[in-house]
Formats: sequence, structure tokens, C-alpha cells
Amino acid sequence: MRNARLLAVLALVASFLGLVFAAYSTYDYAQHLDRQIHAIHCSFIPGASGDTTAENPCKVALFSSYSALFRESYWGGVPISLFAVGAFSFFLGYALYLLLSGWRTPKRAYLFFGVTGLTPLCASLVMFVISLTRLHAFCKVCVGIYFSSALLAAAAVMALLHYRAIAHRHLPFDPMGPTEPQAGPGSPLLLVGWLGALGLAAIVPALVYVAALPDYRPYLSNCGKLEVQQEQHNALLKLPTAHPVKPVTFFEDPLCPTCRAFHERLIDEGVLENLDVTLVLFPLDSDCNWMLDRSLHPGACLLSKAVLCGGSQSRAILEWSYSEQDSLRELGKGNPTAIEKKIRERFGSDVMSCAQDKKTAVRLTQHLHYAANNHIPVSTPQMFLGDKRICDEDTDLGLKYTLSQLAPEVLR
Amino acid sequence: MSAYSPPPRHGSGDPRHGNPRAMHAVDPPPPEGGGRPAFLPAAVGAAAGVVVLLATTLTVRATVSNASDRLKHPQAAAAVESKVAVADQSEEKYCTPNFKTVLQRVLNACGLVGGEARRGCQPADVKTFASIDDDDFNALFTPLKDRGAVIMFDDASETLDAGAKKLLEERWLDRKGARYFFIVARASRTGSAEYNRTLSHKRANSVHFFLQEQFKDPDLEKQVGMLWLGNEFAQLTKDYCDWPASRGATTTSRGGKGGGKNECNPDAINRSAFVSWVDCRL
Repeated sequence: MRNARLLAVLALVASFLGLVFAAYSTYDYAQHLDRQIHAIHCSFIPGASGDTTAENPCKVALFSSYSALFRESYWGGVPISLFAVGAFSFFLGYALYLLLSGWRTPKRAYLFFGVTGLTPLCASLVMFVISLTRLHAFCKVCVGIYFSSALLAAAAVMALLHYRAIAHRHLPFDPMGPTEPQAGPGSPLLLVGWLGALGLAAIVPALVYVAALPDYRPYLSNCGKLEVQQEQHNALLKLPTAHPVKPVTFFEDPLCPTCRAFHERLIDEGVLENLDVTLVLFPLDSDCNWMLDRSLHPGACLLSKAVLCGGSQSRAILEWSYSEQDSLRELGKGNPTAIEKKIRERFGSDVMSCAQDKKTAVRLTQHLHYAANNHIPVSTPQMFLGDKRICDEDTDLGLKYTLSQLAPEVLR
Repeated sequence: MSAYSPPPRHGSGDPRHGNPRAMHAVDPPPPEGGGRPAFLPAAVGAAAGVVVLLATTLTVRATVSNASDRLKHPQAAAAVESKVAVADQSEEKYCTPNFKTVLQRVLNACGLVGGEARRGCQPADVKTFASIDDDDFNALFTPLKDRGAVIMFDDASETLDAGAKKLLEERWLDRKGARYFFIVARASRTGSAEYNRTLSHKRANSVHFFLQEQFKDPDLEKQVGMLWLGNEFAQLTKDYCDWPASRGATTTSRGGKGGGKNECNPDAINRSAFVSWVDCRL
């Protein structure tokens, strides 16, 4: 009986913790539905101060394509944490029931909890692997949910062991007989009922969330246009993609974390290969970009030039810059010549020689003038679908919804 | 949720140690699935779950509704939006209102803006449009030292030598964020104003044609502003001897090709075309 009580207490604590972390994550997500910039909680202490920097791992997770479902149908999609809120609410009530009912708990209640209590951990494991392999960042609020799920799973395993221990005690001719008061197995219908309750609890918050969402369609086309579509010197770069069906123009910086996240999002959503991409390099590095009084991303000018010099390797160089971004950013701050060495080692001395040529500097300047002639905001990334500017918030949370509305062909 | 309680136990002692048959007689197993339901714990658990779910769901709804209100009334968003810088050409400190006035007038007069067909303008135009005296006119261009250069010519000649071409190329490629490229050509202090104006015009054209030929830049016509001056207006002072020049600006005799280390001579420095990118927005 002590084990049963212990597992119930553990399940109660785990559910409460999971609920708190999931609720904070959902709150942060829902805040962004106003299409403004907000701080994002990123602490093991729920409610600790927020952070708006792009490097905030919780921001990386929140703006990734894995943070929500049904993104094509709803602006921003339905955050996965909402389902966690519902599930942990259910498990909180269920754990309380296990605790209070004590020895009168039917055996099947343990079996049910033992099986379903493992599902949050399964979901957490999937998200953990995604964080590890795709996002390369661990959001502390997410880790809080993983931890809670692991605690709940531990309680679930205890429940399964307990179920196994008591399963044979009430057999009609049990030679050992019961050692303590024990409930029966319970009706199989109970399993159906509990499962239904869990399912309902998991989707109710999501249904309410969806019902409360405003209509975003009027906001999608209000962020301006590309005034000058043609660059007179043919200086802009075409990024090779597999099935280009829709012309887009990207303004990107190889060392900008948001650009990296945007690029990865396009790949993860299966969109990039359907776009006919014109790339305008817009390094936020005062070494070549006169629009800045200090370098936000030192080394970005050099990498931009390398991308321009890549020829058929341009996309590979850009994607390498993104994948190696953390180390390149560090090198850019302290030892820019180390970036040259890295480029030379990875892509050969021809690319590096070209990157150091004055004509490449002129071409990069032409990219920057193209940005200036179009009076785009000094921030990256910027996306233009045809000549229509996609609002910043629609390039992150609302990307798939916006594309489904303005260019559905790229989602097919 | 419901649960069952076991039937009351009979007998005493530990049944493990008794006869199994006897034990069966005194302690029958509870009926399968039977027993007294534990309604209270189930009700409390269910109620707690529902209350928590309801509270979180209502909070979610309130958060979404608040976001929706902010979306529809985006005062705060507008404030943030206005702080975002917009990409534009460069704007240096020398772009004073006075400088911009002259720049604007020269650009208007010389056909760079306003869609006029002709290119370049003469001193008379400048006199009309930029009503400032010679010293002020030169002073305006003095801060362009880092962006400019002096292209030297032989006496009575508009031909660009190798050094001039090299310097021009260098300067042209060093555009950075500038929008306009100025060519301000001059002739000698001596001779008639008419002759000098014609020579000055030819020198400006030499530079212009070279840039056209060399770079074939489709934007060139929108970028290059030309000004040719006779001997009566805005002669370069000795301050310009320190500027980057296509050859030593120190020749003292007619026809000298420079390179001498003599004192900077106003005659030589004025047989030139002054070129510079102008980092100003209008």
C-alpha cells in the first residue's frame, strides 16, 4: 500500500510541475498572437524574467516548426504545450484520485495509469531528440516539461509494478491469499471512460484556443512591397532549389540566428524546394554595411562574399554558415582571419581568393544598395513573395498559414 | 471513476500459514469486479481535474482574447515599428543643411534628378542655383577628402593618363553607401573663361566616358553628377594639394607630367577634375 501511495504522490507532484511548465510555455506562445515582440520565459523557475534575444533557446524552440500543429490551418498553429496542459490537468486529478482512494483503488486503475502515464515521456523524448538534433538548443521550460514527464513516467512504472504485484492476489484459489484489503480489478468500461476523459482533457484547451483565434487574413498583406524588383547589375544570387514554382526574394545574413532558424523552418516545412529564391545578402556587419554604426555580426561581410563566390556551391556555403554559425560568430568577434581559414579549408582557396577580390566587394555593395533602394527594414531575415513583403511575424510563427493563404502551391 | 472495496475479512491470523482449503473457507476472494465503490475519492479527483482544466483553459482563452485585442488595436506595435531603422544610402556628418542645399541644386540643375534630359551643368547654372561664393563652395567639398581624389591633366589636355585611370577605378569601386558621384572639372586660371569652360567640360566628359566604358554600369546616369567650371568660379585652393591625386600635384611648368617634388602649385591643382562619392541623402 505504501508503494501505491508513493506513486500517487509522485504522480501528483509530476503532474503539477508539468502543468505549470506547460502553462508557461502556452502563455508565451499565445502572447505572440498579437504579432508583436514579447519576452519569452526561459528558466527552470517558472515566471522568472523573460528574454527577447534571438539566442534564447526557448525562443528558438517556440519559433521552430515543431512547437505547434495545424500551422497551415491556423495562424501560428496550435501549440503542442496546450495538449500537455490538458494531459497534465487530467493526470493531476487522476493522481489525486489514486492517492485518496488508497486500497479501494481498482487494479485496472493502476494498469491504466501505468500505460497512459508513459505517453508524456514518449512525447518528451521525441521533442528532446528534435531539440538535440534539429534545434541544437534546449529550452529550459521544455526541459521542465521533460523532467515532469520523466517523473510521471517513473510513477507510471511504479503503477505497473504495483499492478503486477496485486494482479494475482484475488484469483479464486490463490494459495497465498490477500495480505491486505484489496479492491477488485474494476470494470473494463472504466478503462474506456478514463481514456475518453484523458483524450477530452487533452483536446479541450486546444479547441478553446482555436475558437478564440482572430481572423488573420486581413493582416497578411499589409507590410509593404518591393519597390525596385530588378537589380540593374544582375548582382543578386539565385539559390538553387528542386522544384521552384513561386518567386521569392530573401534578405539574409549568414551569421544571423533568426535567418538560420528561418532557413531551417523553410526546410522543415518542406517549402524551400518549391521556392524560386533570389537571395539578397544583407550582412549586419559594419565592415561593409554602412547602415550600422557597429557590427552586430562581425565576419558576416566575409561570409556573404564567400556565398557570392560559391557559384554552384552558394547554397552549400550559406547552409554551412548556418550550421557552423555558433563557432563562426565566436571567431568573427575575436579572430576574423580564422573565418578565412575555415572557408579556405572547407571550400578551397579559389572561393577565398574571390571573396577577397574588390569586384566581389562591389557586388556585395550592390546587394546592400538594392536593400537601400527598396527601403527595407534593417533587420534580417526579410521575405518577399513576388513583390509582396511578408511581415516579420509571418516569417516565423505564421509562415505556413501565410503561405497557405498567399501561395498555396508551394505547400503542395 | 469508481472503485470497489473488498468484502469483510473472516477469521484471524495470517492466512499464509493456514491450510489453503481452510483459508478458502474462511476468507473467500472478493467477487470479480465487485465491492463497494469509492465514490468520494473518484469525485474529488474528477472535480480537481475538471477545475484545473477549466482554470487553465479559461486562462488560455483570456490570453488569446487579449492578444486578439492588441492585434486589433496595435498602438504599442506602431511604437515599436517606428523604431526599426530603414535601409538607405549613407549619410555622413558633412551632409549639413548647407551642403545638401548645394547638392540638391546641383543635382536639379545638372539633370540628375527631376527627369531632365541634359547632363552636367555650367558655372552659370551653379551661380544661379547655388547662390554662395567661391570660398563657401570649396569649403563645402573640403570634407570629402577621404572619399574624393584629384585627377590631374596636362596643360590644355583632357586626356586621362594611366595614373588617372587607376585612381578613378579605385575611387569608383569604393562606393560603399554613397548615392552620388561628383565630377567637378576645372581648367587654368589663365586664358579666357570661354576657353577654360570648354576645356573643363571636355575633362569632365573624359572622366565620365571612362567610367561608362570601364564599368558599363546601368545606374551610372543616375549616379554621376558633372560640373565644369571656368576660371571665374571656385578655383581649388592649396588645401587640395593634400588630397589623393593621380600624379604629384606639384608641377610648376606647362606640360609637366608631375612627379616633381616642387611646391604645390595652384595652376597645376586646377588643371584637374575633382571626383568624389557623396554620402548624403536628399
